[in-house]
Amino acid sequence: MASSSPSSSCSSMEKINFRTKVLSRHLNHDPTGDKPFLQCSPCLSYTPPELSEPNSFFDVKLMRKLMDGHNIEDRDWLYNLIVQSKLFNPQEKGGKIFVLPDYNQSMEQQREMTMKRIEYLLDNGVFQGWLTRKGPEAELRKFAFLDVVGIFDHSLAIKIGVHFFLWGGAIQFFGTKRHHDKWLKDTEDYVVKGCFSMTELGHGSNVRGIETITTYDSNTREFIINTPCESAQKYWIGGAANHATHTIVFSQLNINGRNQGVHAFIAQIRDANGNICPNIRIADCGHKIGLNGVDNGRLWFDNVRIPRENLLNSVADVSPDGQYLSAIKDPDQRFAAFLAPLTSGRVTIAVSAIYQSKIGLAIAIRYSLTRRAFSVTPSGPEVLLLDYPSHQRRLLPLLAKTYAMSFGANYLKTLYVKRAPALIKTIHIVSSGFKAALTWHNMRTLQECREACGGQGMKTENRVGHLKGEYDVQSTFEGDNNVLMQQVSKALLAEYVAAKKRNKPFEGLGLEHMNKPSPVIPSQLTSTVMRSIDFEHDMLCLRERDLLNRFASEISQRQAQGESKEHAFVMSYQLAEDLGRAFSDRAIFQTFVDAETTVTDATLKSILGLLRSMYALVTLEEDSAFLRYGYLSVDNAAAVRKEVAKLCRELRPHALSLVSSFGIPDAFLSPIAFNWLETNSWSSAQR
Amino acid sequence: MAPVTPTSSETDLILVEEKSSARVWVLNRPKQLNALNFPMVSRLLDLFLETEKDLSIKLIVLKGIGRAFCAGGDVANVVRDISQGNWRLGAHFFRTEFTLNYLIATYSKPQVSILNGIVMGGGAGVSIHGRFRVATENSVFAMPETALGLFPDIGASYFLSKLPGFLGEYVGLTGARLDGAEMLATGLATHFVPAQRISSLEEALYKANSSDLGIISSIISGFSQVPTLKEKSFYHRLTIINKSFSRRTVEDIISTLEREAAGSNDDWILSTIQSLKKASPTSLKISLRSIREGRLQGVGKCLVREYRMVCHVMRGEMSKDFFEGCRAILLDKDRNPKWQPSKLELVSDKMVDRYFSKVDEDDWEDLELPPRSNLPHHAIAKL
Repeated sequence: MASSSPSSSCSSMEKINFRTKVLSRHLNHDPTGDKPFLQCSPCLSYTPPELSEPNSFFDVKLMRKLMDGHNIEDRDWLYNLIVQSKLFNPQEKGGKIFVLPDYNQSMEQQREMTMKRIEYLLDNGVFQGWLTRKGPEAELRKFAFLDVVGIFDHSLAIKIGVHFFLWGGAIQFFGTKRHHDKWLKDTEDYVVKGCFSMTELGHGSNVRGIETITTYDSNTREFIINTPCESAQKYWIGGAANHATHTIVFSQLNINGRNQGVHAFIAQIRDANGNICPNIRIADCGHKIGLNGVDNGRLWFDNVRIPRENLLNSVADVSPDGQYLSAIKDPDQRFAAFLAPLTSGRVTIAVSAIYQSKIGLAIAIRYSLTRRAFSVTPSGPEVLLLDYPSHQRRLLPLLAKTYAMSFGANYLKTLYVKRAPALIKTIHIVSSGFKAALTWHNMRTLQECREACGGQGMKTENRVGHLKGEYDVQSTFEGDNNVLMQQVSKALLAEYVAAKKRNKPFEGLGLEHMNKPSPVIPSQLTSTVMRSIDFEHDMLCLRERDLLNRFASEISQRQAQGESKEHAFVMSYQLAEDLGRAFSDRAIFQTFVDAETTVTDATLKSILGLLRSMYALVTLEEDSAFLRYGYLSVDNAAAVRKEVAKLCRELRPHALSLVSSFGIPDAFLSPIAFNWLETNSWSSAQR
Repeated sequence: MAPVTPTSSETDLILVEEKSSARVWVLNRPKQLNALNFPMVSRLLDLFLETEKDLSIKLIVLKGIGRAFCAGGDVANVVRDISQGNWRLGAHFFRTEFTLNYLIATYSKPQVSILNGIVMGGGAGVSIHGRFRVATENSVFAMPETALGLFPDIGASYFLSKLPGFLGEYVGLTGARLDGAEMLATGLATHFVPAQRISSLEEALYKANSSDLGIISSIISGFSQVPTLKEKSFYHRLTIINKSFSRRTVEDIISTLEREAAGSNDDWILSTIQSLKKASPTSLKISLRSIREGRLQGVGKCLVREYRMVCHVMRGEMSKDFFEGCRAILLDKDRNPKWQPSKLELVSDKMVDRYFSKVDEDDWEDLELPPRSNLPHHAIAKL
């Protein structure tokens, strides 16, 4: 070993000196630096919320298990792996170590760091089995790791996601054995680096309209890919600008002058040394409001020739002599069958959105339990932020919603890993609705948390504000949220029409309540009623069924007046929007109730009851549809509002343990979640 | 083992010296390498509690008589208590010891531990959590619990997990011995002072008459030296250590080491594999899990968890390796323990989980830590 040579022991002496310095600071506070205690301070002191708040009423570890849902130990292992490596930019602030990418680096530096972090995770076996192991267990492990990676940095999660879920997923789902054998193992080992060219400058959510064209040359048995115009350039292709060697290309397939619709191909864009291949042009998408650690690029194809085998041929193929072959005759159906497996993107986005809300809330709530402002009595102590009812009303309903959506996200994950042909429709609808609901909720939560942290929320090191830029894109990629919600409404309408036409009961998607008579809401609401699952469920179902009825009748009226179905949809956007939300809210509520009923621990159950009621009642309070269509009387709406305030008071003592139960290690939160006085002291500034 | 008859007053086991505003506490049980028995642990706890209230005392120096600082908790005694029928006696010992560890970790006055000899197990518990740890060329540090059928306790899951990279897993699972230079390099020691300068260092500390961490640190630095790492030190193998001990399971760690061993004839890898194979499989698995959880927790939560674990170990429901290990290493000294379960693959995740759950007995309670004012960060964490 090299260690036996004298020169290396010399350099290891330097290492020791360095380490000694680092570690004495690491294990202790820097003894030469600040005074560790604040008694000499004439002003404020910091008291950790763990000391000032009551002991947890419930078992935090048990709640964490429920929240994370699966692979707890795997998660902790990966947190360990991240915290222990210098690549993840550990910084000491106020006596604690925090890991966070250096967002002050240039875009190019951030991209290189992302790639280095991927290599580290690869070397440590994090990606083992991501594409070569099958079954729910392997998939849940993969999801757990992606959750953890995303808690560190969105860019890292996206770059990994593009490579495994989009490039790898396309090969798995659109390809056949020959593709699996050739690519999956190499992808898992990063021998090839994949990207996914679907979106174009001129077409995003409307994939069917893309303009890239592929033809077939039966003489050479090759496909020829072309970018016919500027609007056909591939856009936002993650990984394309710097690192990817291969891409999936979505393109119209033109065989013998006939367009067969959108198909997916494999094309190489760089050689192993990173040189761009002939007939490929690549440009950068430039600096972005977030995700600067991802190298998004633009691609043009100039008569790029690829072997016939590179067509991903799970639903359609082209024979060597150029005949188009497919079991599915209708191009629309072919397209739908083709894209169905790509829901994994929406699943992971929804899940990661809710983890970001957890980070935001954990930071803002911990801060609100240590930061004071204004006294209510002359010369009295200033009041803790979270002791203001207004501050509770800002954060605690969002906390309850985050709990609810966390159960929704866990349900979505299990639904996805159990996927079977019979579940494809459900997965499509639920993942669309939840992706939109959870990502919108996240942006709203982060904004509220940023404001709740005041000026401290502006600092990048405190995460909350920065996360807004990082996660804004979630409402756009893998399907624009508004478009997805319209798809949910359309799908619900299809269920409605099918049920009425065949005179059969509704089945699936939780729509069974449509088969029963319309629920009757008590004219006077008491606290007990409002906190009952039955009432809450009835209210959410009432809104969904009424909106679905209204939507169906508006569409059929418009069609009766001679409008096309498509036009009728476009014009009924108001109801469509309300209905999409009503479905998602009710479905999320259902997952909450399901989770709650599996819990046997009495204290856990009672706290979940409070959260569930808060989720339901705040939904009633916030959506004007309840008043607009009269599901709630004016008096009842007032009662609901009062009850929300009451629930805020009741949840207040549990705020700390509820955010602790999110299970996000301290190192992944931020300095204002801990001793922000010490973090900001003069002696800290001298280091 | 013959019952120990108290020969001297139990208070003599800890000698107390007053040196101006400093207090010097000397572990005085040299024949047993200053192993901590119950009277010593509870005496130390009293001393720490009393001293905290005494504003005239500014500094604590802890050291040992003879060739050991402290070779650990008096495990043989504990095992005898348990085998006489009541594991609760053992629980009482550990509860007191862990409370002491917590007090030291959150102590308001600086503590300088002079580690001029053997520092193992419980000895680490009364020193490493303190502010200053002075190693010498005589220092030998180890956490040998996995060879005893136990696991690194006394809050070791906290400080081991804070070592660079995955050294904590290495040190905790293999029971590797560290010398003074290695202790300094890993951060277990804050200073290295040659043994012959120790008495002058002590004199200087007593004269300082100060609680100021900067002043004390610079005094010790004045006597410090940068030691030389041995050529064979594990510190030259950080790459392999990180590569293997970062793995998710004990099985993966061993197979990674074996793969490394196949490509080289490095004795160090072979002996590392050897020590893992000789250790109790149950101990290895619960130790790894404990260190991994420790990385995300404060020292308080670590001790609470370790207390749960140690109670399960003593009750022997899943495995009786602790008794077997003590028999083979401490009592019969045949050094040939028969572990049960005998192989790693026979220790299921479910069994491991049980060690981390509450003990299902009526009047059993989790370790209750004393309330501390001005709790430092490292004492707190969420999970």
